[in-house]
Amino acid sequence: MTEHALTDTFEAAPRRQRGWAKLRGVLLRDRKALFGIIVLGLLAIAAIFGPWIAPYDPNAMAFEMLMPESWAHPLGTDDLGRDLLSRIIVGTQVSIFVGVATVAIALVVGVTLGVLAGYFGGWLDHLIMRYIDLQWAFPNFIIAVYLVAVFGTGLLNLIVAISLAFLDDFARIARGMVLSIREEQYVAAARTVGVSHFRIMWRHILPNAMAPIIVQATVSVSYAILAEAGLSFLGLGVEATTPTWGLILADARSFITRDWGLGIYPGVAIMLTVLSINFIGDALRDFLDVREARESPQ
Amino acid sequence: MTRYLIRRTIGAIIVLWAVATLVFFMLRIVPGDPIGAMLFDAGDAAAVEALRHKLGLDAPIYVQYFKWFWLVFQGDLGNSIYGSRIPVSQAIAEALPRTLSLASLGFIIALAIAVPAGLIAATRRNSMIDNVVSFGAFLGLSMPEFWLGILLIIVFAAGLKWLPAIGYVPLSEGFWPWLSHLILPAIAVGTTFSAIIARNIRSGMLEVLTTDYIRVARAKGLTNSVLILRHALPNALIPVITVVGIAFALLMAGAVVVENVFAIKGLGRLLIQSILNRDYPMVQGAVLVVSAVFVLSNLVVDLLYTVIDPRIRYD
Amino acid sequence: MTTKQTIPGDVAQARIRNTLADAYDFDPRDPLFGLSAAALSGPRLERRVVLRLLAAAGMLTAGHLIAAPRSAQAQGKAGGTLNCGWAGVGEIVTLDPAQINQVLQFQISSNVLSGLMHINAELVAQGDLAESWDVSDDGTEYTFKLREGVTFHNGDKFTAEDVLFTYQRSSNPEKSIHSAVLANVAAVDKVNDYTVHFKLKAPQASFLPKVLERASGRAMTIVSRGALEKMGESDYGLMPVGTGPFKVTAHQLGQTITLERNPDYYDKERPKLDKVVIQPIIDAEPLAAAIEAGDIQLIGGNPIAPELIDRFASNPDLVVDETPGPTFQSLWINPWHEHMKVTDFNRSVEELMAEKGFKVRLAIAKAIDRDAYIKQAQFGRGTPGFGTVNPAQEHYFDPGLAQTSGQTFDLEKAKQLMADAGYPDGEGFPKLRLLTTPANRRETQVVANQLKQNLNIDVEIETKDFPVLIEDFDTMNWDLVRLGSGGDYDPDDALVDWMQTTSKFNGRLRDKAKYAFGFFSDKEVDKLISDQSATADIDKRRDMVRKANKITSDKVASAFLFHQPDILVHHKSVTFPKESRIPGLVDLDRVTVS
Repeated sequence: MTEHALTDTFEAAPRRQRGWAKLRGVLLRDRKALFGIIVLGLLAIAAIFGPWIAPYDPNAMAFEMLMPESWAHPLGTDDLGRDLLSRIIVGTQVSIFVGVATVAIALVVGVTLGVLAGYFGGWLDHLIMRYIDLQWAFPNFIIAVYLVAVFGTGLLNLIVAISLAFLDDFARIARGMVLSIREEQYVAAARTVGVSHFRIMWRHILPNAMAPIIVQATVSVSYAILAEAGLSFLGLGVEATTPTWGLILADARSFITRDWGLGIYPGVAIMLTVLSINFIGDALRDFLDVREARESPQ
Repeated sequence: MTRYLIRRTIGAIIVLWAVATLVFFMLRIVPGDPIGAMLFDAGDAAAVEALRHKLGLDAPIYVQYFKWFWLVFQGDLGNSIYGSRIPVSQAIAEALPRTLSLASLGFIIALAIAVPAGLIAATRRNSMIDNVVSFGAFLGLSMPEFWLGILLIIVFAAGLKWLPAIGYVPLSEGFWPWLSHLILPAIAVGTTFSAIIARNIRSGMLEVLTTDYIRVARAKGLTNSVLILRHALPNALIPVITVVGIAFALLMAGAVVVENVFAIKGLGRLLIQSILNRDYPMVQGAVLVVSAVFVLSNLVVDLLYTVIDPRIRYD
Repeated sequence: MTTKQTIPGDVAQARIRNTLADAYDFDPRDPLFGLSAAALSGPRLERRVVLRLLAAAGMLTAGHLIAAPRSAQAQGKAGGTLNCGWAGVGEIVTLDPAQINQVLQFQISSNVLSGLMHINAELVAQGDLAESWDVSDDGTEYTFKLREGVTFHNGDKFTAEDVLFTYQRSSNPEKSIHSAVLANVAAVDKVNDYTVHFKLKAPQASFLPKVLERASGRAMTIVSRGALEKMGESDYGLMPVGTGPFKVTAHQLGQTITLERNPDYYDKERPKLDKVVIQPIIDAEPLAAAIEAGDIQLIGGNPIAPELIDRFASNPDLVVDETPGPTFQSLWINPWHEHMKVTDFNRSVEELMAEKGFKVRLAIAKAIDRDAYIKQAQFGRGTPGFGTVNPAQEHYFDPGLAQTSGQTFDLEKAKQLMADAGYPDGEGFPKLRLLTTPANRRETQVVANQLKQNLNIDVEIETKDFPVLIEDFDTMNWDLVRLGSGGDYDPDDALVDWMQTTSKFNGRLRDKAKYAFGFFSDKEVDKLISDQSATADIDKRRDMVRKANKITSDKVASAFLFHQPDILVHHKSVTFPKESRIPGLVDLDRVTVS
């Protein structure tokens, strides 16, 4: 997948105190970001109320297999006679959950490691960074494949596997940020007045290091959704009874020529989501003034 | 410079050793019994034990580890435990050219699309063309590779019959047979990649175009095309090289999926298949080679910086 | 009495040739067409045999030939290259008979290597490298007269030494995974260069069609000692040297296998093709695209995904040829699961019915609507299954079992059984884990859906890679498993391998202190299976096979699901003669392409 490309380490940017109002203004003025927000809003509704909105049970089978679009089945039925619209609606929940949960885990663990490494330095930094280097030596998607193969398929394993694979990106960014902020005067000042390490990291360093992490987190959600689709294609995704967009798309692959809708609709769902997330990510990038820059050799 | 090189090389070797060790032990603690699966149709418990013994899989794990390591040290990656037990190095040697062919062609296609697209987008910022390019880039980013691959097969192979649907033909059997089998998978691999490069070039160019040095050049009255191609582009390409550095990782990851779609037995497919089969020696060997190539390409990119960007020194 | 089975001599063959020359253009020197004693002494005469007898008696009319599969267009010219795709597989890891463990592998090796025997399209064993054979009165001694003048692809002569070498290699568990197949062989001796003698420990009906079979048996598929020593085991496995109609000239693992015509094949009429190129193609859609685009002209390998068959059938360029397949597919029910427990099957069905666990097992088996399953999961292709014996074993398969089996679909009865067991409408019944392989994932959902809708049993599907699934299956670590068997030509494949207490799949690696047996154990069935295996009279054997099969069905050794058909898809430019259409195999020696 594509995660490495956009995880080029971000250089520390001077934090600007701008309010939520300003953020809202930026997002609303940027037409692409607005589009992203509207789409994601709709998806959020589908994700939360999916089981109630969906016209059918997403796993209920009928003999009407591969039916074209109709009033009864607006997007038609799949190869086992299940209502495609219901599957995509319910799939929203799982797909977005996979994306968000994955990134949440990767962010918390990765940032913790990165902050610890950057703040304390020394042998801890060495240990953590050698591990991160180790993981960095391998394409994220292949790590995810490996972990799922090892621990077995299923929603939980999938989330753990993808988040572990994404962990190094967050750790690197966080460490880079901490290294530059650590030398700021207000941190030194806090230290001299005897503020605890934890408090310094939590209250003084982390908030100032968040901008590039937020941007990274945003785009990572889309990579997680794509990674889930790729894993489903390889038969390493969630269980058959858990509809996700990736799984619906992967399962549709030998029916596409008989029923184009089966390949198009879940594909469009994925593309719209990824597109929206990236639009918002771009706007955030501008707003937070995070500059994509080259990876500086260490 | 030499010291830096030595330091980096030692570091790389340590990383490789750690990867290999980690993979070795993780493989063995996971569920799945390759011997039982192999003999599912044929053997009784005694036959399973006999084969396990023959393959040395009944020895304590640390003994297996040191044995394997000693052999790797001597350049022997061992043999697959499946089928005819072909040497791991042979399997990798056969697969590597396929993945490299696919990756290079994918890379070329990606550059051919991305460089002009990124340039045009940057020089005509916020124009219609810029929007089209960035939308196209997002589209490329958001399409699962397997899906794109299948669509390409349906349209160009099964439908139009322009290109072969699947398979790989080595270059030794002719240029066109080789190329024709690679075009569709290379597009599938290259699309995501081209989207990333295009975005990188665009943002790199935008940054460079606002620097004093370009403003001076412009003030000197250089034409726009000379300005962009001779002065701005080389600078804007620096971040692109970063992407090239991870190109292998990216294309490799893409290749895992795409090689499966197009029935090309490359490194990605080899890796997935051996992981699924619990073919221990094959996984270990493939992981070692993939990480070696990856570590090496990172090293080369770091060194390339010094050539391209004189501001960077490693002493 | 000594049973003497020989292939008719040249005189008889010549007479047949003359009589049938105009009516039926078969290859007279081909042993598959020889009127073997086995074919003639059967309880039924197969259509071809009848045709030939009619013809031999001068009574053959055009009317008899109408149903014949081959018409004038059928005969293609010799020569040309055939491109094949092997479905559902990423690479052919081995073609060495000692290591082969998949049908899709011996489909290829059967074109390259020979055995002493080869099964024919009607599942009767015929001589391959064996020209004729005698069986002793007690059925434990077999003397084979070998074909003379046969050479290996590397030029080495084939003699009795090669049979001995193959036996030594295959009976050694360190060298072959099939050593167990030869467990009943006491000794093999060379009488002279072209005569070998087998001594068995006990009579074995499947000795000819299974142990000596070049394809499915694999243990006595003749390998070349010279080539093995020269190439080493691993290269030999990729490019085996044999005496078959084709020789392997190139093998790029995971990409292509190239076969070329063996000009020195013992039958000068075969093979017809100059070259065959085989590509493994793991995914369904690329496979379909490849044959639709004309990249490949024939599909072998694993069963083709059922959803593609209709698509191929509606394509005027393609031929879809469907025959009953030598397979059975089951839903296995763990008898050690607390809510499905049966610890002793050695009782009558009536007595078993008193047990809660048996009621649940039977309810599950009876709640599976096999017709609906086949329609939905298999797009209408397949035969409902009620036992391990499959319809390709025509003589032994009992079509009546569909009505007489205790497992016949009956929703009311199934619901009643669940209620009687204390789980009315599935209430209080735990969620079950159903293990399946990635290849079976789609259709397993249909099974799970039926159990949910019909019995309100919650089923959680767990897809596991084969090595993991097998470990769980062998150790009895499962509630339900969706698993079956393929390549079962002889009742032994279906019964000895699966239905005896000592069967190799019956909880092979279970904790024997905890579980007395794996998934099924019944003394009467054990005995019937052992007896049928040692019975030469095929009528008597059939009765025993059917009886054993019926008991396993009634006592729910598993919930039997269906028998997959054997479907061959090829381009219409390919002529695949009926006599080569051996279920499960892809013998290309008579195939032509235009």
